Amino acid sequence: MKAVSSLADLCVKCNICTAACPVAVVSDEFLGPKAVGPQAERFRHPQWAATDPSVTLCSGCGVCSRVCPHGVPVAELNIQAKAQLASQRGVPLRDRLVARPAMLGALAQPLAPLANAALRARPARALAHVFLGLSRSAPMPQFSARTFRSLQPARRSESPKPVEGRPQLAYFHGCSVNYYEPALGRLTLRVLDRLGYDVWLPPQGCCGLPLQSNGQFAAARRYARTNVRTLAPFAAAGVPILGTSTSCTLALKHDYRAILGLETEQADLLAGAVYDIFEFLRDADPSPLEATTFHPVPLHLLYHAPCQLNAHGIGQPAYDVLRRIPGLSLTLSESECCGVAGTYGLKRERYSLAYAVGGRLFDQVSQVQPDLVVTDSETCRWWVEGHTGVRACHPIEILALALGLQDENGLLGKKAAA
Amino acid sequence: MNDLVVVGAGLAGLLAANFAARRGASVTLVAQGRGGLALSHGCLGLGSVAHNPGAFPERHPYRLAGFDKVHPAVAGFQQLSQAAGLEFLGDPETPLQLPTASGAVLSVHFAPRSLAQGSLSASEKICIAGIEGFRDFDSGLVVRGLRRRGYRVDATGLSFPSGRPGRDLYSTDIASALDQDWQSREIARLWAPRLNKVDRVGIPAVLGLAHSVDILTSLQSELGLKLFEIPTLPPSLPGLRLERALRRAALAAGCRVLEGPMATGRLDGTSGGVRALGLSTWTPAGPRVVDAGAVVLATGGALNGGWRATRSGRIHESVFDFPISAPEDREAWIGERLIGPHPYDRFGLTVNSRMQPCGSDGQPFFANVFACGGLLGGADRRTEGSREGIDLVTAYAAVEAALS
Amino acid sequence: MSQRSTQLLVVGGGATGLGVAWDACLRGLDVVVLEQGDLAQGTSGRYHGLLHSGARYVLSDPPSASACALENVILRRVVPHAIEDTGGFFVCPPGDPGEFPDLWLDACRHQGVRAEEITPANALETEPLLSPQITRAFRVHDAALDSFDLLHALAAAISAAGGSVLLHHRLVRLTARPDGFLAAASESGDRLQYIHAQVVVNAGGSYAGKVAALAGSPLPLALGRGAMIAMATRLVNTVVNRCQPPSDGDIIVPIGTVAVLGTTDTPVDSPDDVRIEPWEVDLLLREAAALIPSIEDHRVLRAWAGVRPLYRPPEAPESETRNLPRTHALIDHATSGGPARLFTIIGGKLTTFRLMAEETVDLVAAQLGSSVPCRTADTPLSPPPPRYHRLPYRLEKLSASGAANRQGVICECELVTAEAIHSALDASPTTDLDDLRRDLRLGMGPCQAAFCAYRSAGLLGGREPGVDTNPGLLSFLEERWRGLRPLVWGHTLRQVELNRRVYQDLLALDDR
Repeated sequence: MKAVSSLADLCVKCNICTAACPVAVVSDEFLGPKAVGPQAERFRHPQWAATDPSVTLCSGCGVCSRVCPHGVPVAELNIQAKAQLASQRGVPLRDRLVARPAMLGALAQPLAPLANAALRARPARALAHVFLGLSRSAPMPQFSARTFRSLQPARRSESPKPVEGRPQLAYFHGCSVNYYEPALGRLTLRVLDRLGYDVWLPPQGCCGLPLQSNGQFAAARRYARTNVRTLAPFAAAGVPILGTSTSCTLALKHDYRAILGLETEQADLLAGAVYDIFEFLRDADPSPLEATTFHPVPLHLLYHAPCQLNAHGIGQPAYDVLRRIPGLSLTLSESECCGVAGTYGLKRERYSLAYAVGGRLFDQVSQVQPDLVVTDSETCRWWVEGHTGVRACHPIEILALALGLQDENGLLGKKAAA
Repeated sequence: MNDLVVVGAGLAGLLAANFAARRGASVTLVAQGRGGLALSHGCLGLGSVAHNPGAFPERHPYRLAGFDKVHPAVAGFQQLSQAAGLEFLGDPETPLQLPTASGAVLSVHFAPRSLAQGSLSASEKICIAGIEGFRDFDSGLVVRGLRRRGYRVDATGLSFPSGRPGRDLYSTDIASALDQDWQSREIARLWAPRLNKVDRVGIPAVLGLAHSVDILTSLQSELGLKLFEIPTLPPSLPGLRLERALRRAALAAGCRVLEGPMATGRLDGTSGGVRALGLSTWTPAGPRVVDAGAVVLATGGALNGGWRATRSGRIHESVFDFPISAPEDREAWIGERLIGPHPYDRFGLTVNSRMQPCGSDGQPFFANVFACGGLLGGADRRTEGSREGIDLVTAYAAVEAALS
Repeated sequence: MSQRSTQLLVVGGGATGLGVAWDACLRGLDVVVLEQGDLAQGTSGRYHGLLHSGARYVLSDPPSASACALENVILRRVVPHAIEDTGGFFVCPPGDPGEFPDLWLDACRHQGVRAEEITPANALETEPLLSPQITRAFRVHDAALDSFDLLHALAAAISAAGGSVLLHHRLVRLTARPDGFLAAASESGDRLQYIHAQVVVNAGGSYAGKVAALAGSPLPLALGRGAMIAMATRLVNTVVNRCQPPSDGDIIVPIGTVAVLGTTDTPVDSPDDVRIEPWEVDLLLREAAALIPSIEDHRVLRAWAGVRPLYRPPEAPESETRNLPRTHALIDHATSGGPARLFTIIGGKLTTFRLMAEETVDLVAAQLGSSVPCRTADTPLSPPPPRYHRLPYRLEKLSASGAANRQGVICECELVTAEAIHSALDASPTTDLDDLRRDLRLGMGPCQAAFCAYRSAGLLGGREPGVDTNPGLLSFLEERWRGLRPLVWGHTLRQVELNRRVYQDLLALDDR
């Protein structure tokens, strides 16, 4: 893969990326992806520290790369520029913390009730706002009392173990399921079991994407190398590795090689084995879903494709599958980005900008008044639910209902009052 | 299985996807990026197709598609745009003469209302208002240009509140601010004093993206005058509005839009090379395949890489590598001056009357691959003023052929 | 009829002419410079940007090499703000003759040119795009010199010291008189300016032959046209030379935001012949591929040519221009039957302009009875504090003014602000956007004026409401086109098409 910075010269300055950027359009300060990307790149020199911090206003949503007709990897350029800035200026404590959800989870989890109370308490949030730079207004998820992995001892395995007649899968659950939403992980396993698969949980660490987004490439690479190693037995055996978090799967498929520069055969093998769960069910092995008769699900949903999902370039597989479910009334979000962009919206100095980016989506939710907002990314769910008051769920929860699994999460009860 | 895969999200691709979806086909639109509409005035130039079809040479896309397609294609466009909330005025016989940002005159057949209201007349005096601090539209250039052409014009300046001083604004920034806040009428209050002796004023095209129609109506009513817009340097809002409307219409009609993948053709080794299976694509997620009953190429011409040219003088179509005939000598591709015609304007794919890419013998390369829009050769769209007309009519014809 | 008197008339406002004028001013002489075009419109503005370490010429032209080595150090002291301290490499691609590098290294030592061997790995670490196949590498003290900045600094210094630089003044007559010369210069067409001068220095560069002819004292000159291409981004931050006898296309110079590949050498008859032919572009890219294998993946921004004047000494009437010595020649026309007190200074390299000027003014001063020594080697041209140019300079300057003030960027590619344009217009009013371009780099970036041509035409019109800016806008676009014509393939073709979409389709520009 060619060095990202050398592709900057494909830019013909058409401004299509600037017109599409969700941050530039609501910000007086952010110059836009073209300006901080390929344009500024011509003035960057490896010897001298960059003094221009305006690239940090970029949220990393990736819309720019996707809309560029000339193949300029604008978003990747900006991510690398941010990393260069971070390495020259140092990384504030806050950015080190939010970039390590696994560490935070491991620390807080034994004291989950206390930690959760603190996250809800205004004085604690005010302190975090002032001293850490963590916005007091940003919605935060709750720590779970037990990790997902600890609840699934039988599934944990370092390599695939074939069982007669059933195809195997590996599940990359990520930090969000492990520390915050183990119920989602449990539901995922039940859905896949119902569709006829055996699912293993390989040893895995944080995908490293939050570290990469916060410019800490060396640390991100450490996580990446670990995952490449522990997932290798599954990838090598041709066992598909599914993820329910669109940011984790993007890191594994794309960022490890294109941004972190891990260019090994194992990394390639891993990338080829990873799928977003709905991508897998729609494209890679469509027969189980095609053979299923769905139960009707009488809900009105607003589906929002996370910016990180769009960055895969596979369209919106969850939406395509949900469309087949009878009884569903589906509205598509008209926003490219909900605003949180991973950890961006949690930062004190970025919160109001992130909120402005999401404004359009929040308006659409209040106009449409869906029963639920459905989106594949956990950070989008927490952010949108926190700001609109409408419950946000993962599309797998809707699929579970359509497969006739018990409504453990009480989604059907969320149906708006007639 | 997709009935139809359209490659390219420019005007031709978006129209093809919409036409196909309206015919009940299952459509996937695959595009590496957004198309040229961000650079476009958002109007339809048909060329002289209505009053002088004989002027078009043989092998011209209009002739291949058939002049009988013009009327239904235009009608189809009108239906689509109306359903999407955009009103296009004009007719195929008499072009509108619209002012440009350099004070020249653009001749087009259909324009959205906010532009069409700027149709120039020799007798009426107009006022042109720039926005202070906005780089991408200069009222002085407009006024001087129009006066040179004999029109009676005056200039004034309007301000735009941008909060604390920040960076230079693009047209999309102003449009977005107006989309958010047009109901507050603050802008009308700000502009009224500068416009109190004026009946008709032309401003840069910044009146919103999503709410452009409402903003125009509301402003005209608040200010008590007729407003018209003039397209600015890119990003050009009228083009973006058309793009947005057509994308939303396609999604609403059930099309899937895959934005990001770079496509190469996917061929079927077993059918004797008669059919294409669809597309192989490279995506950030890795290589992926999109199967299709038929493929419509709407990848455009030189601008966004529908065809590419190498230093050694080879020109090739980007998805299926269909041949494009052009001299090997690069110097033969270009004209003397920049502002003028260039031989490469006519380069492009050769198609038959079913819009199928074909060899010099007229035999299609594949039974189920079609092409439309800027990718087609044989037309000097600038001189003819026919760019959008060719996009429209060939998209219509390609979809009809692909789904028959 | 406008007349003035001066001691020294210098014809030609390139590096040599301005260098002569500056030196003369510092010695207390009265000077007028005539330049037919804009500052840096001639050959000085068309070179590849190299401040020679001298290493290129140690074997082929040793006197040039030593001179370059010495002047390199002097110029770094005197005009650092126009110089970027890039350093240079000499590298050996596989297949190049193995014995040359050692001969060359030896000659470097002999000529006082500093060169040290480094490992290829070292070179690749600094410049990752270099061919991984290089067998040997050497570090030298090449640098990048921006001739626009240099000429501006010289012109400003001359004016500050009481001299005159008359731009857009073309010499049309030069008549020898008993007490000196009477020169007539035409300023854009009809008005003639007459100048009476005691001594005339012909620093006309590739036009020196025409100047000498006006004085009735012909010069045997060879003109060699050299083509160069700029890549859209800096592929390297170090000057890269191929370690071989100097030949076409063997150097890559990072200068400003681009990398220049140079150069060719084609004999031409006229100094106006600055065409680029496709084979020259093809050759430069082919040769550069030996140094940067991925060169064809990168976009070529622009092509241009400069014409080098080389003196044909009487003893070498038929030599190939490639083989004519690069050392400069200082000719006293009186010695070949021409008028007295007419001197021509010709040839040489831009790197040695100061030395050439010193030798010339020594002669001139003697003629005028002055014994003031040359001070140019120790008189700074850069504003204090003396600092090398850095690539991020314009970006830093913009962001230093804070988020509150990042407005008015007219040329986004090269970060040229409205403020800078107004200052330049205040200092030297013009309606020619191309003049502005030379001053400020307006329109010299990847989009080649797609946006800034319109914006700056608007700005110009705002300052001078009576002026029709349309012809200037059109001619600026056509001027940009001239450098794009030989490159219309790949992404440059896309850029050209985009620019036409904007100007021909969106703006419907024509020449009415």
